[in-house]
Amino acid sequence: MASTSDAPVIVAEGLWKSYGDIPAVRDLSFEVRPGSVFGLLGPNGAGKTTTINMLTTLLPIDAGRASVAGFDVERAPEAVRQVIGLAGQAAAIDEKLTARENLEMFGRLYKMPKPERRARVDELIEQFRMTEYADRTVSTYSGGQRRRIDVVAALIANPPALFLDEPTTGLDPRSRVELWEEIRSLADGGTAVVLTTQYLEEADRLADHIVIIDRGTVVASGTAGALKDDLDRDVLEVHFASVGDLNLAVGKMAGVTDDYGTDETSSKLTIPISEGSASSLALLRRFEDAGIPIVDFHYRRPTLDDVFMSHTDEVITGSGRSK
Amino acid sequence: MTNPTAPTPTVGDKLRWAIQDTATITWRDMIRTARQPEMLSFAVVMGLFFLLLFNYVFGGAIGAGTGVDYIQFLVPGVFVITALQGAQQTSTGLAQDLAEGVINRFRSLPMSQVAVIAGRTVADSLRNIVGVILVALVGLLMGFRFASLWGAIGAIALTVAMGYAFSWLGASIAAKIRNAEMVGMLSMFWLFPMMLASSAFTPTSAMPGWLRAFADNQPISVAADAVRALTDGTPAGSATLSALAWIVGMLIVFVPLSTRLYSRP
Repeated sequence: MASTSDAPVIVAEGLWKSYGDIPAVRDLSFEVRPGSVFGLLGPNGAGKTTTINMLTTLLPIDAGRASVAGFDVERAPEAVRQVIGLAGQAAAIDEKLTARENLEMFGRLYKMPKPERRARVDELIEQFRMTEYADRTVSTYSGGQRRRIDVVAALIANPPALFLDEPTTGLDPRSRVELWEEIRSLADGGTAVVLTTQYLEEADRLADHIVIIDRGTVVASGTAGALKDDLDRDVLEVHFASVGDLNLAVGKMAGVTDDYGTDETSSKLTIPISEGSASSLALLRRFEDAGIPIVDFHYRRPTLDDVFMSHTDEVITGSGRSK
Repeated sequence: MTNPTAPTPTVGDKLRWAIQDTATITWRDMIRTARQPEMLSFAVVMGLFFLLLFNYVFGGAIGAGTGVDYIQFLVPGVFVITALQGAQQTSTGLAQDLAEGVINRFRSLPMSQVAVIAGRTVADSLRNIVGVILVALVGLLMGFRFASLWGAIGAIALTVAMGYAFSWLGASIAAKIRNAEMVGMLSMFWLFPMMLASSAFTPTSAMPGWLRAFADNQPISVAADAVRALTDGTPAGSATLSALAWIVGMLIVFVPLSTRLYSRP
């Protein structure tokens, strides 16, 4: 890898993008250094793919600027295309070709000289353990094999900047863990990786730095650990038998705290418990005294899920959404 | 690639890229055609279908009515129609391509973007050569004759060139519509008038004046007339020049147009 300095490879400064009147990305800024994984975490429609598409020259930028390896994405798109690899839902491979033919084609399009190209194709097929199926057409592959060749195709020219748009969506747990290991080892080799995901566990495992976006705007940013520490409180989850019971319980929260979340699909009330607030025992007793049957309850440390939900509208909705 | 400090390409680089990348995409499209042999056979079967249908259903009536040797008249027409069908496949094929994710990857690569269309038009033209030769072989069995070898080569070359120009028209439609089914349906509206209101299957002399004005001058007719002159070894009059003018004119319009339509995100 050519990058020897620690200067950021990927820079986004105040990116904006709208589709008609609908803003997709609003004032998004970040930097990714060589050898690190940057996690862009958010629900569907948060603006993750739009961000990737702007950084990879697929979409014009409305306002702000972006650069990859020092090349301006808008002014020098052809130079940018020489230093990036793109995989995931924003890119794909040719289903009618074999994995080897796909790699050969992308190598040719990157203008790699033939001996180097042949060697690289063989090397990648071996490194990613695709030998068994590399000469079958992609349309016969399993979901995991397909995702793998999709990511591998982005690596053909050994780009210093790699963009992975939800690379593990739809994969079984084992393939997902394998792909995580491969992405991690690419970053360890010096590649700057931008990873979008809806999976908190994925961001937690892989990303050195996480930005949570919702409706195109940053709602939280930091390392996984820092984001969790930020939420300096434990969590009480109480499950009720019905939405009716849940609403009764919500009524009983008046005057106690307005910092809680409700999940109507599972009739669940989530209440952060911190020093100085009502104790879990007092809350549970309050529901019991009111004659609201409790199906189940958990008391736990916060997870990245809670961070996510405390910052986005996605799963939990309720008047008491924190912050 | 060990050279991430790649400079912005010069005009010379871009030209070299365009040629290299067109060759690469042609290679890819030919592999795809070989893996979907029905794509090759469709154009050829259509050609043979027209050849047999028109010769045995209408040939007697047209021959008796106009006094022409109908198989000699029909085969050059079917050449051109076969190439036109090939262009229609460019249209649906590219629309299919544009719906696939691989196009997004192409757009993110340091490659000539026009190559995605150019490669397909070249691959489709190579397929057209095979199709037209097969039609010629069946025509020979049915009593059709070339006046000379050079005439045969010229006829096939002109047919394929006209098909190539129409491929860019098809590509423009595909790049605009980007939906293979819609493109397939729409093609009925330009394909059938072009095919039937022409001198490909019947002489235009029996058509009403207003239709004849169109039929005599549209590209399929002038191509069919020019190809016929080459196969028969007779003087072509203005048909060859008209055909070449149509080919050049269509390329001038549709190469930049399809490229621009394709470049939209």
